[in-house]
Amino acid sequence: MAHRIAGLKHISNALATPDQLSNSSSSIDGVPSELETSIRCAGAQLTQDAGVLLYLSQDIIAQAIVIFTRFWLGADGGSLRIYSAKDVSAAALYLSAKLSFQPTSPRSVLNAYSFLLSPQASPLWFVNPQGTPSQPPATDCYILSEGSYQAGRLVLLRIESVILRTLGFDTHVALPHTIALTYLQTLGVNNPSVSRRILEHLNAALLSPQLLYVTHQPNALAVAAIYLATRENGVKLVDGEWWEVFDVDREELGFLVVGMQSTEGFLRKEKKTWKGRTVPLVTDEVDAEIERRRMMEEGE
Amino acid sequence: MSASKSRWAEDDPETEAIVAQRKREKEEKRRAKAEKQRLLEEASKAQAAATTPADPTSPSQDINGDSGPPKKRRRLSNDPDAPSGGGEISTSEGSKKQSSLLRFPAGEWGPCRHVDNFERLNHIEEGSYGWVSRAKDITTGEIVALKKLKIENAPDGFPVTGLREIQTLLEARHQNVVYLREVVMGNKMDDVYLVMDFLEHDLKTLLDEMREPFLPSEIKTLLLQVVGGLEFLHSQWIMHRDLKTSNLLLNNRGEIKIADFGMARYYGDPPPKLTQLVVTLWYRSPELLLGVDKYGTEIDMWSIGCIFGELLTKEPLLQGKNEVDQVSKIFALTGPPNQQIWPGFRSLPNAKSLRLPATPATSTRNPPLLPRSRFPYLTNAGLDLLSSLLALNPAVRPTAQQCLAHPYFREDPRPKPKEMFPSFPSKAGLEKRRRHHTPEAPKHGQDAPELDFAGVFGGAPGGDAGEAGAGFSLRLG
Repeated sequence: MAHRIAGLKHISNALATPDQLSNSSSSIDGVPSELETSIRCAGAQLTQDAGVLLYLSQDIIAQAIVIFTRFWLGADGGSLRIYSAKDVSAAALYLSAKLSFQPTSPRSVLNAYSFLLSPQASPLWFVNPQGTPSQPPATDCYILSEGSYQAGRLVLLRIESVILRTLGFDTHVALPHTIALTYLQTLGVNNPSVSRRILEHLNAALLSPQLLYVTHQPNALAVAAIYLATRENGVKLVDGEWWEVFDVDREELGFLVVGMQSTEGFLRKEKKTWKGRTVPLVTDEVDAEIERRRMMEEGE
Repeated sequence: MSASKSRWAEDDPETEAIVAQRKREKEEKRRAKAEKQRLLEEASKAQAAATTPADPTSPSQDINGDSGPPKKRRRLSNDPDAPSGGGEISTSEGSKKQSSLLRFPAGEWGPCRHVDNFERLNHIEEGSYGWVSRAKDITTGEIVALKKLKIENAPDGFPVTGLREIQTLLEARHQNVVYLREVVMGNKMDDVYLVMDFLEHDLKTLLDEMREPFLPSEIKTLLLQVVGGLEFLHSQWIMHRDLKTSNLLLNNRGEIKIADFGMARYYGDPPPKLTQLVVTLWYRSPELLLGVDKYGTEIDMWSIGCIFGELLTKEPLLQGKNEVDQVSKIFALTGPPNQQIWPGFRSLPNAKSLRLPATPATSTRNPPLLPRSRFPYLTNAGLDLLSSLLALNPAVRPTAQQCLAHPYFREDPRPKPKEMFPSFPSKAGLEKRRRHHTPEAPKHGQDAPELDFAGVFGGAPGGDAGEAGAGFSLRLG
């Protein structure tokens, strides 16, 4: 039925198998699935912010988030009780940058993470629930000492190897961003606010709890973002099932549109659920959180 | 509801039965609907120009209407009974069959297996980027080539060259590119092996062992395959950057495959700044030698020219002792560059020190034909192709695609069918091979050397003393 064309690998991705989606190493280790979702989402945001601090371009950051997401999937994936989400985030970002035209150094990566993970200085709500301090924080709460750098560097490089082995060295990540803009041109839309909105949707989808980037091909993500963005901006597209021209069927489009629209609500809910608390990004914290939940359950 | 309908859930064996049933129901509904549409269509045909109101569910209508997500069970926006402007998109039958949709190749990922799944048979070769041995897959009994990556003293973690090699090989699935089956690991963190299809020969060893060069028809078959593989790589935005005869593998069925992607990388348009320290010296293009930092796939085409020449004569075409000597060997073959045949070469970093003899009035041809005396048995079309591949000006070199369309490959003798190709005893499979004296590919991370080309045409140090002052004398044999 559907025909295959060789040479499309560079715009397509490896996708998670049903088995990988229904079993995770973390859940086998007793991490509740909604906790896993929260940590994965926080880790993705951490990666995004670190990438911005490092002046990395968004394609590198997005690739890092996809690699980060893939790492935790499946019984053969990484477990949150063995690997700290913050380390995997840093190594994924370092790895993606290394493969790009914009490599960065272990020191830069560790400096960025040291700042973002500082409970006093961090602007991230899930690390520093008080919010960005109004006064510039004391530098010693986020400056990386030489000793911590050396230790952190070893961890960074070791986790890099762990990621590579877990993913079978498949580091290829195709992104929908450029595909979406090409499709948009094909559709004859020349509207900067639509283009911007498309990129916003695509970047937000990186944080989706439905793991859209590891379950759908980039062309489908691109089409869904175009669908949403044009509708939100009141831009009329051609009549007809234009998405089929881009090899997306209505069902997949519908699912992705729902998924992309729900991301905002999910993040709001996360923020509310974790109000005043930090999301555990280190194995010890994960253990403590699981223990806390167990105690609460017993107390009830 | 949406989760259970996503594309991955359909593959879940546990819900297979439910999904199958649902599919059947859907199929029935679809059929009923198609029938209904058919009837409607007939009806609408009868009414010819009857314009029906626009379908309320089309996405453009959603702007003003509901802001909710499109519902799964909603009718199609371009039901064929509503004559829409998208006539060129919608199918005339109005069937919702998705048969026209392209399925993207979706791979999977999983953890690396252990190298103990392979039994090592014999050592083949040590290259600049790893050790290669012949091995047997213990479970399937298949013979494979096992390449251990060199990872020692890597201050930046896993070497980027190794990562690129894996990434590009995984993507470059083509019959003329060596097939990377998987990556396996050893006990230590830095034991990483590439498992590839085993091929009996490499072209370099074969040329060394052969008494007579390949026949013209065989050369065409080989070259077509190499350029075909390269054309695919370039179409996938991959530059090989280390093409040479020892990186071309040949099996006993006349198939040749491009191997060793240790230097390969993705490129962009416009070309990004890249290291000039690529490609083994004898196959390195003049613009790289002159220090260009933005280059493209033309450097691979130059290497193809060198390989073409080597196939013709059985000897590497341009065996420079060092960068400076390489440049003089190139100019001795092609003639010196001038503004006419290579505009702008003077502004390349290493061209400053280049002292060229006063250029004689050259032919109007660009690129100029190579001396016929060097390739006495080559046809005119062949010489034309070789001359264009070995054009000093990278912009003049043909792309891989243009190369494939060259008349040389269509004139007699025609390329020999692969099945008719002679077979040879395999060095890699059986005996120890002797080491070649091919210079090694430049190491990643080296600093680009400061080159002084003052001696290329003078008698100054660095040049080949024997050729001093006689840059254009042809040394045959």
